[in-house]
Amino acid sequence: MTQKPVLVVEDDPIIAGVICRSLAAWGHPSLHALTGREALALERESAVGAIILDRMLPDIGGIEILSQWRASGCNTPVLMLSALGSVQDRVEGLKAGADDYLTKPFDDAELEARLAAICRRNQRKGDDLAVGRLRLDNAAHRAFLGDGGIDLNRKQFSMLAYLMRHADRVVTRAMLLENVWGYAFDPATNIVESNLSRLRGRLQALGCDAVETLRGEGYVLRSAKCGA
Amino acid sequence: MRGLTFLAQPRIGRLAGQFGLAFALAMAGAGALLYWQARAQIDDEVETSLRREQARILVPGAPHDTASIARRLNALTGGRVISDKGHMLLAPDGRAIWGRIEMAPPLSLPLPGFTDVRFRDGRPDWREGHALTARLPDGARLVIIEHSEAVENIHAMLPRTALILVIISIVVGSGAAWLFSALIAQRLARTMAAADALARGDLSQRIPDAGLDGVFAQQVAGLNRMIERMADMVHSQRQFASHLAHDLRTPLTRLRALLQADREHTDAAGRQLLERAERECRSIIAIFDALLRLSEIEAGRHPTAMAPLPLAPIIEDVAETMEPVIADAGSRLEIGALFPATIRGDVGLVHQLLVNLLDNVALHTPAQTCATISLGLAGDEAIITIADNGPGIAEAQRDRVMQPFERGAASNRPGSGLGLAIADAIMRFHDGSLELADNGPGLAVRLHFPLLAAGVTTF
Repeated sequence: MTQKPVLVVEDDPIIAGVICRSLAAWGHPSLHALTGREALALERESAVGAIILDRMLPDIGGIEILSQWRASGCNTPVLMLSALGSVQDRVEGLKAGADDYLTKPFDDAELEARLAAICRRNQRKGDDLAVGRLRLDNAAHRAFLGDGGIDLNRKQFSMLAYLMRHADRVVTRAMLLENVWGYAFDPATNIVESNLSRLRGRLQALGCDAVETLRGEGYVLRSAKCGA
Repeated sequence: MRGLTFLAQPRIGRLAGQFGLAFALAMAGAGALLYWQARAQIDDEVETSLRREQARILVPGAPHDTASIARRLNALTGGRVISDKGHMLLAPDGRAIWGRIEMAPPLSLPLPGFTDVRFRDGRPDWREGHALTARLPDGARLVIIEHSEAVENIHAMLPRTALILVIISIVVGSGAAWLFSALIAQRLARTMAAADALARGDLSQRIPDAGLDGVFAQQVAGLNRMIERMADMVHSQRQFASHLAHDLRTPLTRLRALLQADREHTDAAGRQLLERAERECRSIIAIFDALLRLSEIEAGRHPTAMAPLPLAPIIEDVAETMEPVIADAGSRLEIGALFPATIRGDVGLVHQLLVNLLDNVALHTPAQTCATISLGLAGDEAIITIADNGPGIAEAQRDRVMQPFERGAASNRPGSGLGLAIADAIMRFHDGSLELADNGPGLAVRLHFPLLAAGVTTF
């Protein structure tokens, strides 16, 4: 990821401490701001690679800070954290310019995966959906490995596309629900697990076993396993 | 528009008719009273005048035999014309002794005292008159008749006047009643429009009080005060939920952070304990999220993207998603007949509704269960049916399982216990209803949506 520090704006010392420790464990330096004013100053003074921004701060609200940054042309990826988890709160956060919105409480794995995703968001785009020899045919809803091809249903196709776009990075269950299904609610069922196991079965029929499950974290599509 | 449809209701029309009839009856009563009053007045005046005339003829002290009276009559009428009164002397057998007046039968020989008579004095037509008759000592009768011109006029006018009066009072009465009820209906329509908006969850609505006075203004002010109070309460309820969310999520976040932080430094037993604690923490968060979601839907706080929504594609989409989940539970999901139907709805909420209900099939029915989802039409409703051949829910328990945190008696499966309550809230949000029915065997969940359009439509 980036070597520039991640700015953590969070007024709760325990939560801020855990976030900064986790960032250090993943190899990212971090800066910590306790208040909105401090955050504005730190962002001006230092070149930061990404921002984790709490929505509720004692002085200036997270939404307002973000609006100021976006208005002044700052494009740094922002992951908004909030205890307010309703659909409306989420929409407000994304409208203000957040790249992603994570509701408290959260797993550190979720935080890591989402941070990685927003930092890479601008780098891998377009319709070029091929990882190694694995490629997708958008019009036919088919996946190909070399010459062999399989049909996928819409959900399997979208899941594979999302995994391929985030190849070699952890994709969490919540990220799949949000981006493949567009669900703003937590269905509390095995939707992701069951559909992913079907997808894995289809890929195995093609001779590709690239989707790996990381217990308690999520799923990874390994590009190294898409080659042969 | 609403006001007009309200006016068009038959109840108002009937009310106007009843008012008109009551008005007409009252007018008729008043007319009759006036008539009798006028009649009595006229009779009274005529009788006084007749008595005076009689006293002039039958002078006290003078002889009252027929010949003397005839002479007196000659003396009184001989000099000048008495136009308004006629005089007659009749023999006991009814023969005229004096005077040229002819009496119509049956009263050719009037009884003593006042009587109404018909008479003519040389002219061809009979006239109405009031007569005063006195019996003379020798058996003859003196009859003085006054022509009742005023009474005749009244009688001539009466039928036409009465008819006009009744027609006017029916028209005016009905018109006034209709206008009155139309004005009331118009005022009620404003209140009803506001009440409908409130029922839809728009608490910013107030009933307009412009142009109202008296009891209507008071009523509107009272209702508005009530709405204000309700809005305050709902607002503070929402604030409460929002603060609860923040105040509870923050310590839960810390708790989870603490549970995850020092795992490397603990032994195996301690680590197991931490993992169990974290699992419990996770399920607290899940229930808490579902509860917030429920209150969000019920409070109408969900940012609604209400739009025309063809149901069949959504059902196919959700069935595609949930089929592997149900298959992994050892059961089967089939798609039945899907009649094209469009409702007005929120696409996200309808997805959640169907996912919740199909998840119930996966969680709460034994393996080998077969569930079918279908879409049909009945009247002005689109009905999605999810029917299974599992154990079903006993009728006595069906109301109970819709309540938050209640589950079927046989169920000891995981879940927040809010699934059906959320589904029910989503149906109410769409002005629809959720019905649990017997599938004989199994359970049939029927979702009744108000239909926007049937058949394949393009929007």
